Amino acid sequence: MELQFAEIIPKTGPMLWGALYTIFVGILACCVGILVGTVLLLLRNSRWWLLRSIATVYGSFIRGTPALVQILIFYYALAPLTGVNIGPFTAGIMAIGFNSGAFVAEILRGGLSRIPKGQWEAAEALGLSKSKVWLKIILPQVFNSVIPLLVNEFTMVIKITPLLSTITLVELTRASQMLYNETFRPVEVLGLAAIVYFVICFSISQFGEYLQRRSLKYRV
Amino acid sequence: MTFDYSAIWDNRDILFEGLMNTLLISGISIPVGILIGVFVCLLRISRSRLLRWPAIVFIELMRNIPLLIIIFMVFYALPFYGIRLSGLTTGLICLSVYGGAYFAEVFRGGVEAISQGQFDAAKALGLKYGFYMRRVIFPQIYQYVFPPGTNIALTMIKETSLLSMITVAELTYAASDINGRTFTPVETFATIAVIYWMLSTLFLKLTQMVQVRIDVETAKPAAALR
Repeated sequence: MELQFAEIIPKTGPMLWGALYTIFVGILACCVGILVGTVLLLLRNSRWWLLRSIATVYGSFIRGTPALVQILIFYYALAPLTGVNIGPFTAGIMAIGFNSGAFVAEILRGGLSRIPKGQWEAAEALGLSKSKVWLKIILPQVFNSVIPLLVNEFTMVIKITPLLSTITLVELTRASQMLYNETFRPVEVLGLAAIVYFVICFSISQFGEYLQRRSLKYRV
Repeated sequence: MTFDYSAIWDNRDILFEGLMNTLLISGISIPVGILIGVFVCLLRISRSRLLRWPAIVFIELMRNIPLLIIIFMVFYALPFYGIRLSGLTTGLICLSVYGGAYFAEVFRGGVEAISQGQFDAAKALGLKYGFYMRRVIFPQIYQYVFPPGTNIALTMIKETSLLSMITVAELTYAASDINGRTFTPVETFATIAVIYWMLSTLFLKLTQMVQVRIDVETAKPAAALR
């Protein structure tokens, strides 16, 4: 079969919107992920055993179940359980964000372990309150040191977004599915989608590697 | 609301078959993925540009395109070229190749962690490339490769759930099937989430046991040397 991109190109408008939508969803989900990850980090370092174990169990559950199942749970099971009817958009962003949060928490934990003990002692010696120590001294340093890894996590989030096509969100994968059902040219359409995903993820991950190199240089 | 677990219990054979398929797919694709990973890693660390570049391109393609798109391409696009694969075959091929790229990067990290002196010494002893890679370098990389390798294997187990989209009757597909017929989303999806969770926890426990044994074995000769 010969490739006929000329026939497909004029109809790729929805795919372009799908690609933008993918990035948009990715950014929102990543924000949720960072929020959840930070909360998990705080829980993990909490004084109470119960809060610590909640964070541990949460991490184990998220990392032990497929993202697809988590998305399906958020979409199909949350409404009957809680009575709150959230649409596919909110469900998808929440599912991916909560998924990513567990991984962000691991990244942050790595960053936290690199904070020298003197920072804690100095902050305590200055008489700062516990919340001030975390918000003004520890967390800024942690985030600063893990920015390259967070950028990589963003590509992971982008790579999960195709799963949202199962809950009727029209992002890039769903848009291309609709296009090849219409034109019956899956080779070209899926090839195009793969190229778009590659360009998005590759540029982000290269940017992450650039940040990593720069931060290494900066430190030395 | 009330929970109705009878729908799950009545359909337990479907769930069981789904679980068996999930285990089968991951049981085949993880070892095959490791083999592909070793092969691609050897290409990736080779001196020759002609061998190295295809490996780099392959790894970057696999790492930057979502697995779902790759699965769809193999399943929906290949028939146009006369290759018609069943859902199960598609899944096995895609998962092993996809995992292979990630394993290759892990193995490369392991080989790069080995000090240059080991390579120099092996070469100075006149060992052939295949021999020293197999008997000198690779036995040493276990400790570096094992933890990230376990993670990738676990990810592969979880990614088998994507195959439900191309009608492979694995665990997630079984759940969607039951949900479609009985409309008990909370119970079905909670059940398979717990099954997946137990599966991964079991897998992690098993690999930890293996890890401990490897650590003991690698520690022995070092202690003897001291």
